[in-house]
Amino acid sequence: MSEQAATPAPTAAARPAEKAESLLLRHVAAFFESPLAVVGLAGLVLLVAAALAAPLIAPQDPYDLAQLDIMDGTLPPGAESLAGYTYWLGTDEQGRDMLSAILYGLRISLGVGAVSVVIACAVGASIGVLAAYAGGRIDSLVMRVVDLQLSFPAILVALVLLAVFGRGVDKVIIALVIVQWAYYARTVRGSALVERRRDYIEAARCLALPKSRIVFRHLLPNCLPPLIVVATVQVAHAIALESTLSFLGVGVPVTEPSLGMLIANGYDYLLSGKYWISTFPGIALVAAIVAINLVGDRLRDVLNPRLSR
Amino acid sequence: MKKLKPAAYALLPLAVAMAQPAVAQDTKELKIGVASEATSIDPHFHNVGQNNALRRHIFESLITTDANQKLLPALAESWKAIDDTTWEIKLRPNVKFSNGEPFTARDYIYTMCRVPLVENSPSSFTVFTRGIESIEAPDPLTVRVKTTSPQPLFPNNMTTLGILSASVFGAGDVKYGKDGCENMGTPPKSADFNDPAKAIGTGPYKLKEYTRGTHIILEANEDYWGEKPIWQRVVMRPITSAGPRVAALLAGDVDMIENPPIQDFDKIKGAGFTIVEGLSNRIIYIHLDQFEDKTPGVKGTDKNPFKDKRVREALSKAINRDAIVERIMGGVAKPAGELLPYPLFGTSKDAKPVAYDPEGAKKLLAEAGYPNGFELTLGTPNDRYINDEKVAQAVAQMFTRVGVKTNVDAMTASTFFTRRNKHEFSAYLAGWGADSGEMSNSLNALVVTPNKETGGGHTNRGRYSNKEVDALVQEAQRTIDDAKREELLQKASKIAMEDHALLPLHFEVTPWAFKKTLTYTPRIDQYTLATEVKLAQ
Repeated sequence: MSEQAATPAPTAAARPAEKAESLLLRHVAAFFESPLAVVGLAGLVLLVAAALAAPLIAPQDPYDLAQLDIMDGTLPPGAESLAGYTYWLGTDEQGRDMLSAILYGLRISLGVGAVSVVIACAVGASIGVLAAYAGGRIDSLVMRVVDLQLSFPAILVALVLLAVFGRGVDKVIIALVIVQWAYYARTVRGSALVERRRDYIEAARCLALPKSRIVFRHLLPNCLPPLIVVATVQVAHAIALESTLSFLGVGVPVTEPSLGMLIANGYDYLLSGKYWISTFPGIALVAAIVAINLVGDRLRDVLNPRLSR
Repeated sequence: MKKLKPAAYALLPLAVAMAQPAVAQDTKELKIGVASEATSIDPHFHNVGQNNALRRHIFESLITTDANQKLLPALAESWKAIDDTTWEIKLRPNVKFSNGEPFTARDYIYTMCRVPLVENSPSSFTVFTRGIESIEAPDPLTVRVKTTSPQPLFPNNMTTLGILSASVFGAGDVKYGKDGCENMGTPPKSADFNDPAKAIGTGPYKLKEYTRGTHIILEANEDYWGEKPIWQRVVMRPITSAGPRVAALLAGDVDMIENPPIQDFDKIKGAGFTIVEGLSNRIIYIHLDQFEDKTPGVKGTDKNPFKDKRVREALSKAINRDAIVERIMGGVAKPAGELLPYPLFGTSKDAKPVAYDPEGAKKLLAEAGYPNGFELTLGTPNDRYINDEKVAQAVAQMFTRVGVKTNVDAMTASTFFTRRNKHEFSAYLAGWGADSGEMSNSLNALVVTPNKETGGGHTNRGRYSNKEVDALVQEAQRTIDDAKREELLQKASKIAMEDHALLPLHFEVTPWAFKKTLTYTPRIDQYTLATEVKLAQ
């Protein structure tokens, strides 16, 4: 892979004035060279599409309690409902159609993952780049806070936060942002420290541009590639973390289950052979995380200049 | 056989003796996987199920209860009320403590004196001794107890107090005083009982070894006055998670477990084990805020809808109790129409669960002025009662279907009870187990108007209040005559239920699982007693 990717590199070096669009194209082309990454991307697109279209394609709204009936509870895959349609993936003990619950669960899981990462990324990157630019005491202070935060296991911090906040999708997102911003701050600060000494920053300073403009328009965009890689992988982490929290019973409300909570519900029934309640949401969760990781891995390969040379 | 020589006859006892070990081996040791560990060996430290069950093995009480919570004589041979405030108890003669000391009235007085001296008790036994004015012992095997007020439940109270040996902790001729006793020696601290040499009672078993979190080992008391215990040795292992507890049974690590999860019944039965189920005295109910004018968990209306009896009735009618029992509880529960299951004291045979009638519920809601319903948040613990959170979700489903859009706020028990006690829920699901197994306990806890001074209504967090019920319960608590008291309680219960003071859901059923070679009679008090574990015929 790296040998193939190496071919366009000399051209880029030879023609430094090449436009940004062709750089992007080059990255896209490089990305698609890996069949595994393409599979991952296809899977991810499929899952996201399914999640977005859930209200249209799901046979039941699993969050509308009036549509559920416990008399339909724990039916095996393929069973008929009282109302006459088929539960292709069975039902859980509340009479929730597992297929619909998984589609809606994916919405929550992917949504929580994406939103928390975007916010954490924005917050973390801003703090990191400011710390790097300011240097000195502010930098030390911020980085010590980051160290402190990263020295606690994320799951522990999130559990404590949710114990204080209570349940709710918004609260899970806040908790995830709080446990994740430090990764971005550290990543961005690392690359910003390097970029800060580059000539173009010096030039911008000489033009007496306002500091905020230098930081956010000049410095930050040049720190983006590693940030994108971290963010992609962190989406998968965030989803796994949210599922873990829901599994432990502190995440989303019980009447609006995410994938983790569906797995937890089915866990009680595993010994009695009612495999479908846990297994199918588990497969969906694994598929989502693997797809994101495949895409993230390839992005790292593509965006990392050291690997492509 | 006729031709058997005398020598062979001589050998017969030997043959029997040799055959014996095969049987005896079966009764050598019984290993029980218990769901929760006793918090202390001290019989008066913590009034909680697992402690009281363990206590019965080692420290007997004057009066005991059978599987249906009927009173039976234990260390007392008989008891009677001489007048409204005096009870006379005849103690059992020729009973010895496991250290060889005889049991007399002195030990009883010593025990009554010691109960209030327990330090840091999480749930104290003093409620059972508080009403004792004086104790006299006309002879070593008779005691006369004067109470401060008429106490019809005095015999029930005596079933909860394990009798200590006065001489173990150096007491002399103990004199009872309401505000402190004389000649008490050095009353023991709770931790002292961890030492088998100090944990001396008259019970069928003696404490052999206690390692917190690992096991409690009991050994048969050879000199026990009653029926000799079957098992020579009993090992109680706390296995608090349900999964590992079932696994321990299936793997043969233990012979019997408490509370196998309903979901695993098929698996356990399939593996060749027996499961017995018994109705418990625990009711699962929904309480509704009937105090505040504006209640925090209700949206879509400015009023507190639960002050209207029609709304409470509508919600009760909206619940399909049979469906919950069948689908969520796997059939292991019983729909409830009262606070205690029939035939416990104070219950009525004709107290039927409110029938499922969603159309009637909608009609009642419309009549009450809520044709479009309202929004409600139902609070529930998610780790306290059997399938608590799942039951709450099912109830939410049923409420939603009649127009009361219901959200479930589920949380761990400690958070739940703190928030509930601060009246943060407009509606909450909880359970109540009546230790005494009679109605005055349940009514007093759940529907009597809350009153800090009398302790009435201490768990009535919906703050239901009905003067008629209060008066009846109060009168019952003063009535010594059993028949009259039962009638008063039945009446109070009927009024509260017809008023839908709370919405009863179901009575929990307690399951036990054990090897095919054993039998166990399910107990209403949910205790696991090694003395009641018998060999299957």
